[in-house]
Order: sequence, then structure tokens, then C-alpha cells
Amino acid sequence: MREIYQQPLFGIFMTLVVFYLAQIISRKWKFVLCNPVLLSVVSIICFLVVFKIDFEDYNIGGQYLGFLLGPVVVSLGVLFYEKYEQIKENIIPFTSAVFIGGTMSILSVCSIAVVLNASEPVIRSLAPKSVTTPIALEIAISINGIPYIAAGMVIAVGIFGNAFGPTILRNLGIRDKKAIGAALGTAAHGIGTARALEEGKLPGAYGGLAMCINGLLTAIITPYIIKLFF
Amino acid sequence: MFKAVLYIFLFLVFGELIVYLLHIPIAGNLVGMITIFIALKLKVIKLKDVKPASDQFIKYMVLFFVPYGVGLMTLHDILKIHWLAIVVSTIISTVLTLYITGLILQKFRKDA
Repeated sequence: MREIYQQPLFGIFMTLVVFYLAQIISRKWKFVLCNPVLLSVVSIICFLVVFKIDFEDYNIGGQYLGFLLGPVVVSLGVLFYEKYEQIKENIIPFTSAVFIGGTMSILSVCSIAVVLNASEPVIRSLAPKSVTTPIALEIAISINGIPYIAAGMVIAVGIFGNAFGPTILRNLGIRDKKAIGAALGTAAHGIGTARALEEGKLPGAYGGLAMCINGLLTAIITPYIIKLFF
Repeated sequence: MFKAVLYIFLFLVFGELIVYLLHIPIAGNLVGMITIFIALKLKVIKLKDVKPASDQFIKYMVLFFVPYGVGLMTLHDILKIHWLAIVVSTIISTVLTLYITGLILQKFRKDA
């Protein structure tokens, strides 16, 4: 049986099928936890555990899908170019907001994790939690974090921002749509940006750009910030 | 479409090459992201040459990180010890990031 799992085709095909089903389910039930990524991850983990298949065997195929995150990051540069025109008038307040917000994200998550006695590899994995998964993975690897924790938390943060972001912001007095878009993109990357798009095209553009800028910023400064803690 | 995919991979290879040759401590795909933006801005390449591929890559981005999410299952032991610290620090930090970013832009945006 094991020879079947160890074919790259197994991991790839299984991921595609599960993801397809998860998309159908998430379209049917507009409930936040019915996010296609969350549903796919949970179902695949359950399947592997029930049938006693090692993650390493699944990942023989899975890694091919993960590899495609490289071209995704390059594609973000194209997205950045497209959205740039739309926010030109606010470029200085916008970049300042993303820079300060993005820096606060790394500093606050690390400080709180230190206070709560998390281990060093865990703290290193949490530092890039607000940036888009492909960039967060690169950062986690480069600062000796654990890429799987980084990926898991990035997805969790995205879902959290998507589900509760706008409500939290409105309750804290942030009602401007562009500000909501930028905040969602900075704190909750692509999954947050998806929610910003529901608020409108312009908030969506602010979210997408905020995601790109914060990804770049976090990639550059995280290695320096993490040195403050260890 | 094929040409667009080729362009995206060309910039990815270029980014990796730059990182390898200059030993800069940043990921090659990020260098690719910056250089493709500059190339578009300087009109070295046209948006319509790359957009068909980049739109598709971004559309299916979430599918590509499913395997990394599944990787969490190998970390069962670490998560069992540290889950509280992870959850608390992440939630507080995310709310703080949302608020600070939103507040600054709302205060200083130019168009009211």
C-alpha cells in the first residue's frame, strides 16, 4: 500500500480533490470557518491520521504544489504595479501606516510570546505571522523558525482577520474604507484582502498593496528585530 | 498565456540568480517581485504580457499553501506545550496591527 502513497501523484491529486470539494462547501455555507484552506488542511490531516499515512509520504507530491508559491510572489509584483496608480494620492500616509503597523506586528507578537514563555523556535516562527504565506515561509526559514508553524499561524491570522477584522476596526472607531482595507492587508495579508474586496474595489486595492509592502518590509526587518530578542 | 508564464519564471530565475551571485540575505522570489515591478514601471515589459499568468497564480495561491498547513500535523508535540502562548500573542498582536494601521491612515489620508 505504501508504494501508492509515495507516488508524487498521491499528494497532488488528493490535495486537488479535497480543495475542489472544500471550495464547493465554502460557497454553499458562507460561514467563516468554512474557509477552503482551513477545510482542506483539516480534512487532509484527518485522512492521513485515520489511514496512518506519514506527512512525509503525502508531501512527496505536496511539495510540488508548494513550489508554485515562488511564481506567486513574483506575481504579487505585477499586482503591486496594477494597484499603485489607485493609491498614488495617499502614498505617504499609506506607506507610513503599513510600515508602522507591520513593525508593530513583529514586535508585539514576539514580546507577548516571550512573556508567555514560548520556546525560541516558536517565537521565531511567529514573527512573520502577518505577511502572505509564501513570504512568511521564506522569512521563517531564514531566521531558523519552523516553516509549518509559520504557515499554520499565517493562515489562522488570515482567517481571523477575514472573519472579525472589519467588526473589530469599526468598534475601535476606524470607519474609513481605505483605512479598513489597508489594515486588513497589513495584518491579515491575502485572506484579509479578500474581505477588503468585499468592502469595495478601492479598499481591495489598498489591502492588496498593503500586503505587498508589508511582505517586503517584514522580509527585510525581521532578521534585525529578532536579534533584539535573542 | 504561455509567454506570460515564461515571463513570470524568467523573473523568478533572475531573482534567484541575483541572490546567489550577490549573496544578499533576502529570498530570490522577493527580488523577482521587485524587479518585475520595476520592469513594468520602466516599460521594459507590458502589463498584458504578464497579467494572464499572474492573475491565475494569485487566484490559486491558497491552494499552493495547503501542503504547508498540513505540515502542522508533524508539530503536534510543540503545539501541545505552546498553544496558549501562540494563540494569545497572535490574537493580541493582530488586533493591535489592524488598529494601528487603520488609525494612521484614517488620520492622515489626504482626501476626506
